[in-house]
Amino acid sequence: MGLNIVVLVKPVPDPKEPPRFKPDGTLDRLAMKLALNPYDKYAVEAALQLKEAVGGTILGVSMAPPHALDALREALAMGVDEFVLLADKRLAGSDTLATSYALSMVVRKVWSNLGKLDLVLCGVESSDSNTAHIGPQIAEWLGIPGVSYVDKILEVSAEAVKVKKIIEGGSMTLLVKTPAVLSIAGTTYVPRIPTLRDVLSARRKSVTTWNIDEVGIDPARVGLLGSPTRVVRMWAAEVKRKGKVISDQDPDRLVDEFLEELRKDGISLR
Amino acid sequence: MDKIFVYAEAAEEGVADCSLELVGRARALADQHGFVVGSILIGHELRNWATELIHYGADEVHIVDGGPASTTNMLFHAKAVAEVVKAEAPEILLFPATITGRDLAPRVAVRLGTGVTADCTSVEIGTYDDPLTGKRYEKILYQIRPTFGGTVMAAIVTPYHRPQIATVRPGIYPVPSKDETRTGQIKEWPIGRAEEEKSCIEVLEVKREKRKVDLKSARIIVSGGRGAKPEGFKLIKELAEVLGGEVGASRAAVDAGWMPYDHQVGLSGQTVKPDVYIAVGISGAIQHVVGMKDSKLIIAINNDPEAPIFKVADYGLVGDLFVVLPKLIERLKRTC
Ligand SMILES: Cc1cc2nc3c(=O)[nH]c(=O)nc-3n(C[C@H](O)[C@H](O)[C@H](O)COP(=O)(O)OP(=O)(O)OC[C@H]3O[C@@H](n4cnc5c(N)ncnc54)[C@H](O)[C@@H]3O)c2cc1C
Ligand SMILES: Nc1ncnc2c1ncn2[C@@H]1O[C@H](COP(=O)(O)O)[C@@H](O)[C@H]1O
Repeated sequence: MGLNIVVLVKPVPDPKEPPRFKPDGTLDRLAMKLALNPYDKYAVEAALQLKEAVGGTILGVSMAPPHALDALREALAMGVDEFVLLADKRLAGSDTLATSYALSMVVRKVWSNLGKLDLVLCGVESSDSNTAHIGPQIAEWLGIPGVSYVDKILEVSAEAVKVKKIIEGGSMTLLVKTPAVLSIAGTTYVPRIPTLRDVLSARRKSVTTWNIDEVGIDPARVGLLGSPTRVVRMWAAEVKRKGKVISDQDPDRLVDEFLEELRKDGISLR
Repeated sequence: MDKIFVYAEAAEEGVADCSLELVGRARALADQHGFVVGSILIGHELRNWATELIHYGADEVHIVDGGPASTTNMLFHAKAVAEVVKAEAPEILLFPATITGRDLAPRVAVRLGTGVTADCTSVEIGTYDDPLTGKRYEKILYQIRPTFGGTVMAAIVTPYHRPQIATVRPGIYPVPSKDETRTGQIKEWPIGRAEEEKSCIEVLEVKREKRKVDLKSARIIVSGGRGAKPEGFKLIKELAEVLGGEVGASRAAVDAGWMPYDHQVGLSGQTVKPDVYIAVGISGAIQHVVGMKDSKLIIAINNDPEAPIFKVADYGLVGDLFVVLPKLIERLKRTC
């Protein structure tokens, strides 16, 4: 059958490292090491499994500054065939409405280049903005069906996919006409770890960079000025927890020390 | 008068608590700043629910009956909300930050060409002085939310576009008390039938697991994760028994089939606030943490000193649960 799959991946500040702020209180993104958003690896893995099952091509798409390319290479090393990077200074400060508009325009262009598009996969949310907006919003911009919180892609045919999605208190099975956008939340898609050889061959894979004019993106609808929302202020979240971490090789001492701490703090567990 | 609207999410037997909480919050903001509170209810045969929303604090309820198919058809919900909002022009539109609300709100935002802020932990009304235009905006919705996986807080506004849309985390505001003498307006909207959207996305099956365990009222919860394995859950159950508590689980443990779904704590499980929450072999992924972070006391047992769960814990024990739990159980048994 051969599926044309677009996977949206976002470079994010490495979630293992604490956020850094500039003196004015905004995030110092340049000072933070970039990595591939964890959920996007699930989406890449889902795409790879589909390709292994029915064949096809996987195209990675990202909107990010050029220096993010190193982090994005990981998707290529996992097995993504080609990559398009939308990079343009005028995109800086875009909120989710602007970002989803810009990415939907890239998908449109890719779609018309390929002639046929089956699936757009994305992660359910990014670890730096945690909005889960982009998937549903791209579906709206493109006017195609979209399903968020997809746990598993069950079946795929030339016209439709059958998916299981998480809902409050359970799950739902849906038959979705393609092309469609799926936001992957499935922890069953354990991302494969690229070998050294994969990493090396990823360097030879093609990465196309587009600016917004090449995609036909309206500059007035992106960037800070094209974004309806404004961040007024950011601050480090307060942790009100005691945060007493006890470690001791000897389990007896560990437990004793813990119970002693509780006693000192006047806490009884029972 | 300007309006604040709340999307009423359906639960099995009525409006979901998370939406009633938002009606309560909207009511409080409205009384303080002079707004009308409206609610949008989508589904089938909903008049009783509309009355209920009024008893909880709504001044007006907008019903869209899209036939039986409309309860689960989210494309229809997005269309219906957008149409009602276009006509009624509320200043503010709130959704619960549930799986449903977090899918619907961004869609409605695209349809209306406005902004949306996800997963707020607080919504306030205030004045905004725009540094760009130098203009002052009155009665703006301040949308406060955690970001960066919970390590950073941000205050966000939507100054020039309407409505200002936000999803608000469940369990932040209390369910308001019910006043059966309250009256309000109910308006029915003739917006298509959900059948049209069915050709794109067809719901084949809905599985809702009935909850047999009510973790919400438990005073002590001992939860296990992927690290616990089936054998670890034996110890976890024993500890829960010794402490007179309930057993909880992470999604990984539920997915693995070690515990039934009604024990799951987190975004797609239950939100709990016990006096004591003990997380055993749970890494502390944000989707788990949102479901237990408001517990009075949090204790974590994990053999990885870097596990994020230690960041939200009052007491952390770094060690192998298979060694630590038996010791802990033994000691606690002795002290009684
Ligand atoms: C849309 C969505 C909704 C979700 N909803 C939920 C939800 O409601 N609830 C939820 O919990 N998750 C939810 N998740 C999943 C969440 O992201 C994590 O995958 C999950 O919480 C991980 O579970 P875990 O901590 O048990 O497993 P892991 O992350 O695998 O952690 C296991 C931990 O056990 C420790 N460990 C291993 N062996 C031992 C030992 N011998 N002694 C001590 N410690 C040990 C390890 O160090 C590790 O920290 C959701 C995800 C998505 C995308
Ligand atoms: N700048 C971006 N470039 C490519 N994909 C993105 C970008 N931002 C978000 N996404 C995709 O949308 C998903 C949800 O992100 P978010 O809405 O930011 O939480 C991510 O997991 C990505 O798949």
